[in-house]
Amino acid sequence: MSAARPARPEGVVVDRRPSAAAPDGGEDVVVLRDVGVRFPRRPEPALRGVTLRVAPGDEVVVLGPSGSGKSTVLQVVTGVVPHAVHADLTGEVLVAGTATARTCVVERSRHLGVLAQDPASAVCLPTVEGEVALPLENHGVPAGEIDDRVDAALAGVGAGALRHRRTAGLSGGELQRVALAAALVTGPRVLLLDEPTSMLDPAGVRSVRAAVEGAVRGDGTTAGGPAGAAAPRPAVVLVEHRLDEWAGEAGVDGLPARALVLGEDGTVVADGPTATVLRDAAARLHAAGLWLPLDVELLALTGAAGGLAAEANRALLHRCAGGTDGRDGALSRPGREPGPGPGPGPGPEPDAEPVLVARGLSVGRREDRRRPGAAVLHGLDLAVRPGEVVALLGANGVGKTTLLLTLAGLLAPLAGRVDGPRAGLVLQHAEHGFVAHTVAAEVTHGLGAQAAAAVPGLLRRHRLEHLADANPFRLSGGEKRRLSLAAMLAHRRPVLLADEPTLGLDRRDTVATTAVLRAAAAEGTAVVLSSHDLRTVAGLADRVVVLGDGRVLADGRTAAVLRDDAVLSRAGLVLPPLVAWLLAHEAEGALGPALRALDRAVP
Amino acid sequence: MSASPLRQVVPSPLARRDPTVKLALLTLVSLVALLVLDPVTPAVLYGLALVGVAVATRAPARTLLLAHVPFVAFAAGVLVVNALSRSGTLLAAAGPLVVTREGLALGVALAARTLLVGVLALGFVLSTDGVALMTSLHQHARLGPRVTYAVLAGYRMLEEMPREWTLLQHAHAVRAPLRRDGRPALGPRHHLGVVFGLLVVSLRKGERMAQALESRGLGLAPRTTWRPVPLTRGDAVLVVAVLAPLAAVLATSAALGLLEGPGTLTR
Repeated sequence: MSAARPARPEGVVVDRRPSAAAPDGGEDVVVLRDVGVRFPRRPEPALRGVTLRVAPGDEVVVLGPSGSGKSTVLQVVTGVVPHAVHADLTGEVLVAGTATARTCVVERSRHLGVLAQDPASAVCLPTVEGEVALPLENHGVPAGEIDDRVDAALAGVGAGALRHRRTAGLSGGELQRVALAAALVTGPRVLLLDEPTSMLDPAGVRSVRAAVEGAVRGDGTTAGGPAGAAAPRPAVVLVEHRLDEWAGEAGVDGLPARALVLGEDGTVVADGPTATVLRDAAARLHAAGLWLPLDVELLALTGAAGGLAAEANRALLHRCAGGTDGRDGALSRPGREPGPGPGPGPGPEPDAEPVLVARGLSVGRREDRRRPGAAVLHGLDLAVRPGEVVALLGANGVGKTTLLLTLAGLLAPLAGRVDGPRAGLVLQHAEHGFVAHTVAAEVTHGLGAQAAAAVPGLLRRHRLEHLADANPFRLSGGEKRRLSLAAMLAHRRPVLLADEPTLGLDRRDTVATTAVLRAAAAEGTAVVLSSHDLRTVAGLADRVVVLGDGRVLADGRTAAVLRDDAVLSRAGLVLPPLVAWLLAHEAEGALGPALRALDRAVP
Repeated sequence: MSASPLRQVVPSPLARRDPTVKLALLTLVSLVALLVLDPVTPAVLYGLALVGVAVATRAPARTLLLAHVPFVAFAAGVLVVNALSRSGTLLAAAGPLVVTREGLALGVALAARTLLVGVLALGFVLSTDGVALMTSLHQHARLGPRVTYAVLAGYRMLEEMPREWTLLQHAHAVRAPLRRDGRPALGPRHHLGVVFGLLVVSLRKGERMAQALESRGLGLAPRTTWRPVPLTRGDAVLVVAVLAPLAAVLATSAALGLLEGPGTLTR
């Protein structure tokens, strides 16, 4: 079924679990019939011939490579396309049984709840309770009912304690949960989730995922239904590329029951029960650069189901780790099978003098300085050698970004000192650093006149050639990150600092970014990065520094530190199953090479 | 980061009054003061307003004093320009500078009016929470929900702006050229870049917020208001407490023959 577009119902039978049966047994709440979308000034349509029917209680995850139009599907349902964002829309769209050609975004909001990607702009009002009450006021809910429904909606997403807070002090995960409460409080027929966790750290991802789970499935009613009344559960349409994190420990079972896969050209490639679709389309999705649940990733590589329990998958990982299982050379899928990497790659030069040294360092924000205990990290000693990749790990708010800013010389140390040359720094929000009007000018900013000659080489190296004349602010998320890294590396500083360089990137862009960082290290750059993604860190870093309780909890070789359960639990870090398995079954030195071999399998 | 960088309103008697009522009184007194052009009446009104604001907002003397700086500077400018530029009875002369009695009187009148409006505005700002103002205007001044909530969303963006600014500063300083002393050269071009960046980032954020507000049904009708804020007896007391002294001062001033109106400008 991988190539044919099944036209339901005669194609794939959609699995509606008994518990998901439509409470009102009625018509489909969202119907897209042969929908095509073409944006102005784009040569190719974003969507072609997309047909999708969502029945009450359905849970659908929309998958596809970057640029396949996943988010456009949601925008067509909400009416943002074509009402707010201009585009040619063909085909038919029905929301709650009404053809929507003429109904605007606001009118459709009677039936829809929406949660978008960016926590900072998902919440619009200064107070939490005002935010959640606003949709009820807009829908004309009697004032007397609002209080209880605000309570119920916040409790439903595990945010009851936030009710009287101001929104300015909330974390990303908290903001997304408040926004989710505001989306659910009116009891919508359909909940639309557009990569709701892509800008959150793992703890935030878990909290939002649990909130969606609890609010939608919890007790069979929506959190925000009218007090006392059992409102029907909303249907859910989720767009997500980080399927491994969204699925969590439950693996494929943790995903919505039904999956719709879009191809690069904006057509529907598959639509059916998630387990079936992922099994049949595993190789295609893997090649498209998605983050897949581990079972599916291994299935794509070996054809064997069962994840780490399957012998074929264990053998594959063992070979990736540099071992042999007696069948070397007998590759099941030529060209796709990853092998051990070419040699040990870059690494610290053990005898080299450190290029960046911090002694007795205390860091904190200057504006908080007058408060006692303003320092977030105390008494920190750190030495980084040329060619070394060091990862800073630790829970949210532990001070990783503040430390990087201090190492870069942008914040003055509260105590102690930092010695070293001027360091390069790549921040998490790439577009904050953009200064030029074209990509080509951006990569040479601050380099002087002779730099122009280096532009073509730089752009080629970072896969930005085709964008040389584009405006940096108009690039996609992944392209922006590549550009900001390229522009910083062009300065050839001896030390490169990077704050969450792979957050929110799809698998392919993540692999490309880590390759660039390792290449910089191979040329002698000392690289210090912060990250929450332990799989990426384990494949990239020579050394990790674990921060917690305002100090360094551990500092050592990556595999050795990640084996220390006491340190991990103290710092609130949870190993991904793949990393845990490799640490338990393979030699310490094989961790990085094995993960990089799996990365190379992504085309 | 610390909590909201925007100032929190300190509880006080004036802070409990309805913002629309306060705004209406501020506007009314300012309009009346516009018509008063003798030096004594606005000066007396300023004195009363200063005491009233100090008592009703419970603001520390230091806060009031500091907040006066811009008004005093402006008032002094008005005073000097008028004293030196109007023709009339000679009071004093120093070289080419000539001070006239009429000029000085008008200068004092305008300066006192500046201070009066200034101190009342100060009382309003010190005692009014932005969110409460918008909610009250929506309820009592028929401000449409789209405008009201757009401004409130803007208020939230404003709260985040210092953080964005710092982020942008850092991001731009990394690649800035170095001065001779080894520190990044953060000149006008750097700041222009940061301002432009803030503009772009804010515009995109505003766009996303507008979509979020629409997706929550902002603009549907009919709508309800949760927790309507009624006008209270306290608000009536405030109106009387402001308008009664105003009327009394104007009446007394007129009875004493001190009150002068716009006619004084043409004399």
